Amino acid sequence: MLSFIGRSVIQKTVTLFFVSIVSFLIIHLAPGRPSQVNPLNPKFTPELVERFRKAFHLDKPLYVQYIYFYRDLFTGKTVSWKDGRPVLKKIWDRFLNSLPLFIVGTLLTWTLSFPLGIRSAIHRGGIYDRSVTFFAYLLISIPGFFFAYVLIIFVVTRFHVPVIGMETFGLNASSWLHMSMDRVWHLLLPSVLGATGGIAVLSRYVRSEMLEVEGQDFIRTALAKGLHPDQVHYKHALRNALLPFVTMFGLILPGLIGGSVIIESIFSWPGMGRMAYEAILARDYPVILTVNFVSAVLVLAGTFLSDILYMVVDPRIKL
Amino acid sequence: MTIKRLLVVVPSVIILFLLQSYFWVPTYEQQTKGNPERLVQYVTASIGDASLLNPILSADSASSQIESLVFEGLIDRDQNLHFRGRLAKSWEIYEEAYFYVNRLARIQGNKDVSAEKIVSILREHMQKRDCSPALNSSLALIKQIKVLPPRSFKSGARIGKKKIVVEINAPARIKLVLKKVDQALFHNLCEILGSTYFSSFPAWRYIKPPPGTTKEAILAIAKKLIPAYEHNPVILFHLRPGVQFHDGYSFTAKDVKFTYQAIMDPRNLSPRISDYEPVKDVEIIDSLTVKVIYKRLYSPALSTWAIGILPEHLLNNEALRNEAVERGMDPKNFSIRQSRFNRHPIGCGPFVFRDWKADRYIILDRNEKYWEGPPNYKEYVFRIIPDLLTQEMEFYAGTVDSYNVQPHQVARLRNDPRFQCFSGTSFGYTYIGYNMRREPFRDRRVRLALSMAINVDEIIKYVLYGQGEKITGPFVKQTDYYNHKIRPVPYDPQGALKLLEEAGWRRDKQGWLEKNGKRLQFTLITNSGNDIRKAILAIAQDAWKRIGIDVRTDVIEWSVFIQERIDKLDFDAVVLGWQMGIEPDLYQIWHSSQTHPYQLNFVGFKNKEADDLIIKIRQEYDHDKQVQYCHKLHAIIAREQPYTFLFVRKWTAVLDKRIVIKDVDKNGNVVYRKITPTKTGDYTFYFNKWIKLPQAPSFSPGG
Amino acid sequence: MTAFVSTDDTLQSSLAPKRTRAQQFWAMLRANKLAFAGLLIFLVFFVVAVLGLFLTSGTHPIFDPSTVRLQEKLRPPLSRPRVDILTPEQIPRLGIYLFGTDDLGRDVFSRMLQGAWVSLTVGFVAVGISVIVGVVMGGLAGYYGNAFIRVGHVISVSFLFSSTALVFLNQSFTAVLCLLAGLATGYLSFKNKPALALPIMSIDTLIMRIVDIMLCFPSFFLILTVVALLPASMYNIMIVIGLTSWMGAARFVRAEFLSLREQDFVMAARALGLKDLRIIFRHMVPNALGPVLVSATIGIASAILTEAGLSFLGFGVPPPHATWGNILSDGKGFIFDAPWLTFIPGIAILIVVLAFNLFGEGLRDILNPKLRERSL
Repeated sequence: MLSFIGRSVIQKTVTLFFVSIVSFLIIHLAPGRPSQVNPLNPKFTPELVERFRKAFHLDKPLYVQYIYFYRDLFTGKTVSWKDGRPVLKKIWDRFLNSLPLFIVGTLLTWTLSFPLGIRSAIHRGGIYDRSVTFFAYLLISIPGFFFAYVLIIFVVTRFHVPVIGMETFGLNASSWLHMSMDRVWHLLLPSVLGATGGIAVLSRYVRSEMLEVEGQDFIRTALAKGLHPDQVHYKHALRNALLPFVTMFGLILPGLIGGSVIIESIFSWPGMGRMAYEAILARDYPVILTVNFVSAVLVLAGTFLSDILYMVVDPRIKL
Repeated sequence: MTIKRLLVVVPSVIILFLLQSYFWVPTYEQQTKGNPERLVQYVTASIGDASLLNPILSADSASSQIESLVFEGLIDRDQNLHFRGRLAKSWEIYEEAYFYVNRLARIQGNKDVSAEKIVSILREHMQKRDCSPALNSSLALIKQIKVLPPRSFKSGARIGKKKIVVEINAPARIKLVLKKVDQALFHNLCEILGSTYFSSFPAWRYIKPPPGTTKEAILAIAKKLIPAYEHNPVILFHLRPGVQFHDGYSFTAKDVKFTYQAIMDPRNLSPRISDYEPVKDVEIIDSLTVKVIYKRLYSPALSTWAIGILPEHLLNNEALRNEAVERGMDPKNFSIRQSRFNRHPIGCGPFVFRDWKADRYIILDRNEKYWEGPPNYKEYVFRIIPDLLTQEMEFYAGTVDSYNVQPHQVARLRNDPRFQCFSGTSFGYTYIGYNMRREPFRDRRVRLALSMAINVDEIIKYVLYGQGEKITGPFVKQTDYYNHKIRPVPYDPQGALKLLEEAGWRRDKQGWLEKNGKRLQFTLITNSGNDIRKAILAIAQDAWKRIGIDVRTDVIEWSVFIQERIDKLDFDAVVLGWQMGIEPDLYQIWHSSQTHPYQLNFVGFKNKEADDLIIKIRQEYDHDKQVQYCHKLHAIIAREQPYTFLFVRKWTAVLDKRIVIKDVDKNGNVVYRKITPTKTGDYTFYFNKWIKLPQAPSFSPGG
Repeated sequence: MTAFVSTDDTLQSSLAPKRTRAQQFWAMLRANKLAFAGLLIFLVFFVVAVLGLFLTSGTHPIFDPSTVRLQEKLRPPLSRPRVDILTPEQIPRLGIYLFGTDDLGRDVFSRMLQGAWVSLTVGFVAVGISVIVGVVMGGLAGYYGNAFIRVGHVISVSFLFSSTALVFLNQSFTAVLCLLAGLATGYLSFKNKPALALPIMSIDTLIMRIVDIMLCFPSFFLILTVVALLPASMYNIMIVIGLTSWMGAARFVRAEFLSLREQDFVMAARALGLKDLRIIFRHMVPNALGPVLVSATIGIASAILTEAGLSFLGFGVPPPHATWGNILSDGKGFIFDAPWLTFIPGIAILIVVLAFNLFGEGLRDILNPKLRERSL
């Protein structure tokens, strides 16, 4: 096990280095220039454009820019080109905003998919299974913004409560409890909408795995032996079906730095997704590269974690 | 089975917990009606966040909206578009003109006339008033004549790509201080001094060429290094006393000069540099008087001083250095761009900055010590709501006071008795531009025919829901620079076909137009993210297809669009728009020198007459003459049709009917008036006097 | 004494007639009604798509998807056109607006027909590429996991790569040299010459690192960059979407293979001397297909919607060519005024996805011998 960890860490660091080079190249190869210089604004003369380029080190050769960027990153000095704020602070603030959304969304996804998927698998072909399947695919086929709008309009016209933003605008702090409950309410709709996609997908996988396991001989034996069906399904079958999901657990980590742009825009939620999207459109290289780097670190950590969990959970596996 | 129970219980508990929070949240009614604080708060919604709250650095509209409230400029425009003083109480515009004594020229038969002699000649004629009327009026404007002795100075110059420093031994010079700017001064002086006095000035004689430069090179730049004559228009501002910045510091002339220097400082990368490039110097006469001297005739000069003035004491070199050291950053690379000031601005405006939560809101408080009296609203909140539908919902719910109404919502809102609507035309227009360097657009008839084939009225009616007006030329429609006599291009597909036939294009067997075996085919492109432009793409394509033109279309992401297509001049036809100010200076968009890659005359419009008019407009200080030139320019552009001018958008703002203007009349009584837009449609002109009443008032017909 | 009569003939005649594998497969498919229905719906869609392309292309198509009729904007489905204000060529072929009109008055039915081919191909090709690449990579990683890549392999592969690159750069002589060097080192490493036999890393590690690298880039960003660099054609988009979404399938397949590899039936197959490839594709893959099918089904909807997102940014199929995705994204601003612009393409995507899902489930039942016994 230790040798595996040691080898993995070294390999992941090498991969990280490689990823940093590739992402740097991709960004600089992508057409389009940082939008600080808006060439259709009559006030931007070519000299000004040149000066901006010099200030952003864009006139230096690529490898020099690469060194500058990563040196700044590791000393915490990277500054966004859009508004001059330190990138790490910017990302941290937005991360704190996205975090509750992420936590609630993941909780909802994982706690709802399993009961739905398992029940579907056990009563395969029945009405429950068919309707859950239909709704799951409905959620996947019709884009999220539609449901978001419908829900918002419904809640606002019926209940007359605000739903957008992270907290109710203009709420003067009455008590700590009021404020937190207000936050919770504002979390509800966006995380539910974000989770619906995840629930639809994850419940399909759960159902598929359960079916695989249920089709095996030992289940038939257990049922034939006369064990209570609940025990057979929920104790014996479920445990075996859970294996791949334990490993998927590790892959939740990269989700920390993600976020759905559409949901965040509709709900005016100042999260990571929107920031990354706007940075890409404005070609704000420092922000894009930093987000990429952090996300790469999280992905590698996540896959590392799931590999370890895999070895722990299934003794037959030798990696 | 416990697992089974767990699987059901856990999610239900979570969902119930989330749902119960509903009961803790105040409803919209409680937020608006039940909250007296709400009445003195003005909330506006925006799609994007501001970037930098510094008027010399920012270039986006969200930032400028906040800056216009936090900062104040020296002047701005009143409801009739005339300049009015803000931080400047009054100002005078006059001129200082210079010309070198040309010893070689003959004046009235005499050679080698000295400076003193010239002065006495001029004084004689001024007294006698015996010249032509033009020269008499020019001479009458002269307030002061002074002789400047010869001097030596060094000047930087460019020969090709090399930068060199030349030594110049300039001869004596005569300075004339005029009461008003007189463009024709030197032209008129030629009457006395001789028509070749200025053109024969041997500039090259006074330049000591540095080693390694040829005589030809020096000759080429001589006239620029020491020009025979120079107009230096001057604006003298008398500043308002007793104005303070939000932190209590007094506003003085030092701050004006500092703002100018900050803009010109290359380290700050200010996008406004080109506006202030013609400034020669900003002199502080005393703490409330500033003199701005320009290098050459530049009529848009006064309007550039509407820019917000920065506080010198917070952003000068010492302050920046202290901030850099405090934050642990390198003082040498620390410019205004990195300062925290941009996230917490301090100005002289009617509102004081309080807080900015990134991508959520910006809050401003009223400035109790504002020089014109504090505004009626206590708080100004700028909320960032990126989605248009949710903006509309918040508006209906009453938590937002104004937002950008979409065309299809206007009809609905206009009939709603709770709201009042204001409409006005924007400063800008949408057009289809043709790359005049490429076939078939070189032929004017083809361009005109393409314009005639598009039914602009229908576009305005159905795509803009009536929120637009047709436009025929490149000026702002509400100003008098716009030539209202020019009739718009009629919608006439048959006429278009006739024109095309004249140009040699005939329909082939399949119905496409062709000439010399080639089909009339091109690609129309626009940028992504703009639904109206996308709609125009489809409409134009369909309209042109009906007269037999094969048009492909493409929608391209903004950055790529600009960098790869527009900047590199690689396009056939493009749907775009311009956003402009009131000033009629159109040099960058229409002058023939601006047709290179990366410049704004990307359609390649080259017309000598138009070029002359553009330069004249830029240098003309007399408003009526300027208007005449503009009308002529408008006519030329409309005739040549380098663009198909489509429309100018109308914006509509919707406000709660309860928002009115509160004023105090002569007797000290409070008077309420309805909000009415100014000539340019700016309904926020009296914003400082707005207030929201608890109930909608009813106005007598007199208002 | 009992005489052993050759019972071959009798035995053979009393057994059920032998069927080839293909015939067996087909019979099972017929029997599984739902799967068969799924397949049928599929075929219907494809036929409609091809027909649709034919019916809407050309200068004067039978169903015209790009005729703008501004006065008829946002008409609901099944509404009659106002013949008095339309020119004869603007009247829709069927006499009514079957699916309504969009915000420029274009007939949604014609646009759906035009878009069907593009959307279906984007969906299936992208998913096909991602499934094939994912299964191959995952399978190799899972099965050959412990085999090592050796120095010799790396050298020979890099020689071969450089020779192809040199061919592109028109340096034929050096290209041939590199090719020979590559083949030589390849041969030598097969023979396990000690110098070249140094192990570098296992195949599993190599493939998993590649998966990691691909996972590190948010797919949206990769797609954006590649699509911006390459000319905007439908095929490039399909390939790019496919090549950026195979990682999930690969990880699943590898996981399944890692556990399947240790099971008895694989050991038995090896002992019997079956070739590796046969074991992988004939025996192991069918067992690992479950999650792959799920991700393929979801992938189809997601590929079509990704194409919609890209066309919103201006990177999809150039207008005015319609796709289901772009009808959806154009209708985004009119959700309450014209909900059919969202529903109609959404339901079309839903039907395709459901059909594929039914077919996939049936396929899985057929390929799984244990389930087969139960249903038969």
